[in-house]
Order: sequence, then structure tokens, then C-alpha cells
Amino acid sequence: MATSMTRTFGALRNVTYSSLKNAEFPRDVRHPGPLFLPVRTKKRYFIPPAVGLKGKKEENPEIKGRAAGIVFRQQYLERPINIACSAGVFDPYIPPEGDARVSALSKEGLKQRTEQIRQSAASQLAIRKIKEHDSQFSTKTFAEQAQEIFIEAHNALIHFNRERLHSLVTERCYPEMTRGNRYKTIRWKFMESLEAPRVVHARCPDMVTKGNLYGQVTVRMHSKQTLAIYDRFGRLMLGSEEQPKDVLEYLVIERHLINPYSRWRLHGKIVPSWAPPKDPVIMTVAIPGPELKPWEEFDALNYEVPKPAAVQWNK
Amino acid sequence: MAAAAMTGRGVALIRNIAGSLHSRLQILGGASQQLSCLHTSVSLDSKHWEKSNRKVYPPQLPEEPRRPAEVYHSRRQIKYSKDKMWYLAKMIRGMSIDEAIAQLEFNDKKGAKIMKEVLLEAQEMAVKNHNVEYKSNLYVAESFSGKGKYLKRIRYHGRGMFGIMDRVYCHYFVKLVEGVPPKPEQSTSFDQAKEYVQGLRNRTIIHSL
Repeated sequence: MATSMTRTFGALRNVTYSSLKNAEFPRDVRHPGPLFLPVRTKKRYFIPPAVGLKGKKEENPEIKGRAAGIVFRQQYLERPINIACSAGVFDPYIPPEGDARVSALSKEGLKQRTEQIRQSAASQLAIRKIKEHDSQFSTKTFAEQAQEIFIEAHNALIHFNRERLHSLVTERCYPEMTRGNRYKTIRWKFMESLEAPRVVHARCPDMVTKGNLYGQVTVRMHSKQTLAIYDRFGRLMLGSEEQPKDVLEYLVIERHLINPYSRWRLHGKIVPSWAPPKDPVIMTVAIPGPELKPWEEFDALNYEVPKPAAVQWNK
Repeated sequence: MAAAAMTGRGVALIRNIAGSLHSRLQILGGASQQLSCLHTSVSLDSKHWEKSNRKVYPPQLPEEPRRPAEVYHSRRQIKYSKDKMWYLAKMIRGMSIDEAIAQLEFNDKKGAKIMKEVLLEAQEMAVKNHNVEYKSNLYVAESFSGKGKYLKRIRYHGRGMFGIMDRVYCHYFVKLVEGVPPKPEQSTSFDQAKEYVQGLRNRTIIHSL
């Protein structure tokens, strides 16, 4: 507003002088300066035109162009993206509590053992769908196949054979398996299988478009394994090479059913909420303390380290 | 070092210098071709120091002594002189990392602030990526500065003379090793005298009767 006022003053000044110019003027008379001399009259700011139009959202210029009669060229997909695996585990299997903790000869153990996959209808439907696309699929032989895939994938991980690992493990599982392992040495051995592997769950989700089927089968495995991880300098970080451990795992194996050249590959693992905590790393780690305000003090005696919530998650 | 003042007479001198350099390079190139065909020297763009972090050692046996962790870190093209940086690098050689950071924090030089950042980065890298247990259990094993790529500018002198001014840049390299810093051996004056006398006694006269 101030600028507009100065502008008017300027305009007035111009008008008065121009009106007087026509009359004859003695040159030696000096007129007094104007009372309100504006300091700045030049416009020194710049407001971009888009600032005032914030509320207006322009219509799609594409529609306007088409309406006007401009013909757009066809968009070519020069590099089509091929998704060979799904993003996660759909409808994950919830393993019953106390699995492999109860002796097989007791009543509950027998119940668990005789619990067959036939009980869940959704799994049966999924298996039927899988058999449509893959005629050689059968739950009895598949479990053994799954275990072999698992063993071969881990052997490829030890020797870090990238091509072999990609053919045995899906793209979603690959970074989870190999993250942080590049400069480490892993020694893993599969001792023996304590129980025969079993298919416990199956699902057939379709991604993006209808009919784009991926088959996900969960296999339960109880086995003895040894694992030792050494860091960059050859020092033991985790586990031990001599001491074997009993491991109960739920593997998710996936295949892109529509693609006739696809293979069954390891997609992930399901970690149940009642799983026992893992062995600690052979290192002292600092646990971050509580967030304190400037006037608070840290009470070391009464402070309890917060434990993570017992939730089932997919590895 | 900062202003390599080569007073010369314009274009003619540049041509002479270029010619002499060219001939020198040709001679060198010819000589090296005769000696060896492999690249045995370091080129301008090589980053060997950072690649040392990728070396993986085989797993140690349980009876071997624990190998100390080594972390290599560097910063390239720091706007500072390599000679001025050398004084700071020499100062922190052999210090433990806490001591080094403390000394650099209260040093008034410009390079001290940059070196402190580099040391802190290296410490964090060591703990996160290289399995170092205690962040204070590190010491500075190697620390030195190197010449970076200089920018050349013209420095105007009187009478139409000019000099080529270098805008200096430097690299700074540091290697942190896990463990207690090694104590430098301190020998007393008596020991030094004994060694001197022993050296004199070890002299033999060859080709004598």
C-alpha cells in the first residue's frame, strides 16, 4: 500500500510540472522542494505470478490438449519390469504354541502330529490351484524338495555364488539373506533332520492383475545345524562351529505359477511369537538409555531394559 | 608452495616449458616401456586407501591371538595446504583416538576441525561396520597428508609479468587400529652410549694381514 501512495505522489508531481511547463518560466526562480518527498519510488520487489493463484488447481493439461485436437504419440514400454516374486508372505501361517516342545508320545504330542493339512480349507483350495498349473506337485514329495532347496541355498550363501543363489532364492529373500555378509565369513553345516519335513500351509495370492498367481507353501522343518559367523578380521562374531543346535523353522517357498519356466524358491521364514531368544553376539553392545528431560537424572538401579514385544514376524 | 611464482615473458616461455616437459615425459615413457609393461605406480584417480577396507582375512583358529581390527579412512580435496596439514597429522600419530580428538578440538588451525570430523567418522564406521567393540579402544596407527589436485590461476605482477598461482588442495589419510597405543621405546643416555661403543667395537678392518 505504501508503494501505491508513493506512486500517486509521483504521478501528481508529474502532472503539476507538465501543466506548468507550457507557461513561460523564468529560469533563475527556484521552487521549494515538495513537502512529502518519497524515498523509494522504484519497484524493487518481485512477486512471481504463481503465488496468488495457490487455491486454483489447474485441470489436467493433457485433457485440454486432447480436447484442443493435439494427438499424443503412443508411449512405448522400452524396458518392461518383470516381477518374478511377491512382496511378502500373504496370510502367514501361525504356528501353534508348544510346537516341537511337547514329547511326541504324550496326548498333546499325538494331537499335534496327527494334525493334518486337510483341516484348513483355504490351504486345500490353494493346493488344488497349484496342481492346476503344476501337475507334478504333491505335498508328500514337496517337503523333501523344500529341504533340499534350503540346504543348497545356504551352501551357495557360504561360498557366495550369486547366480546359484538367485536361482534358489527369491528377489525378496536375497537381500535379507545377504545384507551385511559381504565382508564376513560364514560357516554353516546341516547335520541332520530330526523330524521329517511337513507341508503345513499353502496360499495362492494373485498380485496386481487377476490371474497373476504366485503359489506360497509353508514347510515345517526340525533339524540340527551349526552356524559360525566370522567378521572381516577372522574373529568369531556369532555361534560356534562344534556346538550343533536344534532348529525348528517354518520356510515359505514360492513360485510364480503362470510362468512355465519358474522354479520353487525360498521366499522367507516365519518366526513365531513364542520362539526362544537367539544367542547373543560375542560383543559388548551399548543399549540406548531412556530419553531424559534436562532436569531429570538417570536412575541406574530402578531402570529396566525394555524387552521387545513377542510378535510373530516374517524373516 | 602456494604461489609458484615463475616470472616469465608470456607465451614464449610457456611454449619452452611445455616443450621441455613433453620431451622429458617422452624419455620417461620410453624408459618405462623398456623396463616393464605393467602399471606398477599409482595413477591420479586411484583410491587405494578406501579399498583397503575391503580386505577379508580368513577365520582365525581358537588358539591364535585375536587379530586387532584396522579401519582405513580418508578425506579428499580438502581446501588446505598439505604442508600445513602435515604438522597436525604428525602431532596425532600414535595417540589414542580420544586424546587425538581432544587435542584437535582445541587446536586453532583450520585443518584441525576437518581432521576431527574425519576421526569421528572413522570411529563411527569402525563400530558400525567393522565389528569394533569399544569405540575408545582405538589408536591412530598411521596419519599423513597428501597433495590433492590443484587449480591453477594467474597471479598478476607488475610490468606485464605474471605467475601461475596454485589453489592448493590436500588429502588426509588415517588408519585406526584397535587396542592400546604402543609405547615408543625410550632408551636412557647410558644405553645409547653403550650402543655407540658397541658399534665402534664391531668395526672390522678388511683386506688386512
